[in-house]
Amino acid sequence: MSDFALETRGLTRRFGRHLAVDAIDLQAPHRAVFGFLGPNGAGKSTTIRMVLGLCRPTSGEARVCGLDVTRNRIEAARQVGALLEAHGFYPNLTGRENLELARTLRSLGRPEIDRVLDQTDMRSAADRRVSDYSLGMRQRLGLARALMGSPPVLVLDEPTNGLDPDGIADMRGLLSELPDRTGATVLVSSHLLSEVEQIATHVGILNLGRLTVQGRLSDLLANQPQDIELATSNDARARTLALAAGYDIVDSAEDLRLKLAPRDDARQVAAELNRALVEAGLDVHRLAPRPRSLEALYRQAKLDLPEAA
Amino acid sequence: MFPVLKTELTKLHRSLALLLIVAAPGLVALFLLLNGLRDGQQRPWDYWLQSGSGIWAYFMLPMSVTALTALMAHTEHAPRAWDQLRALPIARWRIYATKALVLLGVVAVMTAVAVLLSIGSGALVGLIRPDNAPTGALDLASAVSKMSNVFLAATLMIAVQFFLALRYASFVPGLVLGIAGTFFSVVATGSRIGVFLPWQMPVNMLATEAWRAQTALGLGLGLGVLTLLFAICALSSRDVP
Repeated sequence: MSDFALETRGLTRRFGRHLAVDAIDLQAPHRAVFGFLGPNGAGKSTTIRMVLGLCRPTSGEARVCGLDVTRNRIEAARQVGALLEAHGFYPNLTGRENLELARTLRSLGRPEIDRVLDQTDMRSAADRRVSDYSLGMRQRLGLARALMGSPPVLVLDEPTNGLDPDGIADMRGLLSELPDRTGATVLVSSHLLSEVEQIATHVGILNLGRLTVQGRLSDLLANQPQDIELATSNDARARTLALAAGYDIVDSAEDLRLKLAPRDDARQVAAELNRALVEAGLDVHRLAPRPRSLEALYRQAKLDLPEAA
Repeated sequence: MFPVLKTELTKLHRSLALLLIVAAPGLVALFLLLNGLRDGQQRPWDYWLQSGSGIWAYFMLPMSVTALTALMAHTEHAPRAWDQLRALPIARWRIYATKALVLLGVVAVMTAVAVLLSIGSGALVGLIRPDNAPTGALDLASAVSKMSNVFLAATLMIAVQFFLALRYASFVPGLVLGIAGTFFSVVATGSRIGVFLPWQMPVNMLATEAWRAQTALGLGLGLGVLTLLFAICALSSRDVP
């Protein structure tokens, strides 16, 4: 058995002269919720399409549960449930009839439909035509279809699109429970960093076709340098003092911001700084270590690739 | 193959394509009915059926195939369902081959409905205006045989329209070719070269000259099967970025 539920090796896709995906080595471990992030045009959708066997890589390979997607597409496809941006539901059919198509083509038992309808809270709307569904309902139905047959890998492209706040919370709960409940590995592509931060165990950040950051989210955040926000009765003097003490200052319109080294203990630095400022006769109005966040990690990942831009 | 066939048939539920199965032959029958009621004389059943199959093969079948392929392809293009379909653990050629089979089946059913409704319209004229009722014996076997040939000769036209409709997300290329093909087959009626035009092959099954019927049937069916095989291979191996 492969160490990773989903893995790419040197996966590359070129469209003419445009390099959409540049030799990425993505690794999503078993039972992980892998947040796949990146700005528009970064190559996320192309990567997902290659993982699903919808387009062939120019070079490299994608593997699902150890199966090469290009050489063994049908077996690899059996391991994956997908929710794509375009749901592909037939509007003239009901939700249940749409699921019935997927059930028939995947050769699954009839009870599977009610199981996934219950799981996504769509049972009551199942007999309405999809043309009458809201975007959020289509999203839930899409997830229901992806869950059919309890595949070991789920690939979800923007799963919270069109959902209201309650729907987003439900989706979050469902996705974070899935690895423990079914043993599935979930790859979630999303723009909502705060949502991904709440559910992801691992993240990968794609920028300009290159995978700039990848790993366990907790490790990545722990290695992320922290900022301290500072507001005093004399910010110019505080700036001089901080620079003299060897801290980096990040320019900010509202306040002073100190950039710490990754291994600095923010609470210890804050205490020392507070003491120094007070001893210098300044009133300290605010001294707040900013929590490490996925957003900061994401922004850093974008900044780390200037030569490719 | 059966699960794929079942799903393809399910997709026709409540669709415009399904309506077309009755609507297109129904229009031929309606024309025959109105003409029969207006006509001042009795006509034999042969004349009646020849009129029905003529209108069907000459004009209504090519137009219906154009519309039907566009509607069936639109079922997948409009909701962008190809990705979901192509990501399933099924050999892609099965999906396209089944679609081709369903299309051929629907056209066959439409052709059969055209025969039945033509007979029905004759019977209805007899009920409404007994003095205009069709005369003589109804040679159903001959009508079925002719219409079967019309259907078989239409295979090439069906295959070309099928490929274009599925290949392009826009319905324009298929529609333009279908309308142009029908137009040129109408204006080229009687010309020797017309027999090589896929849209005119079905109506050549009703020609009195044997060479026309044989050429149209041979080319329509033979090249049609080859074109369908090409279409299935080309569509299934196509990389959709």
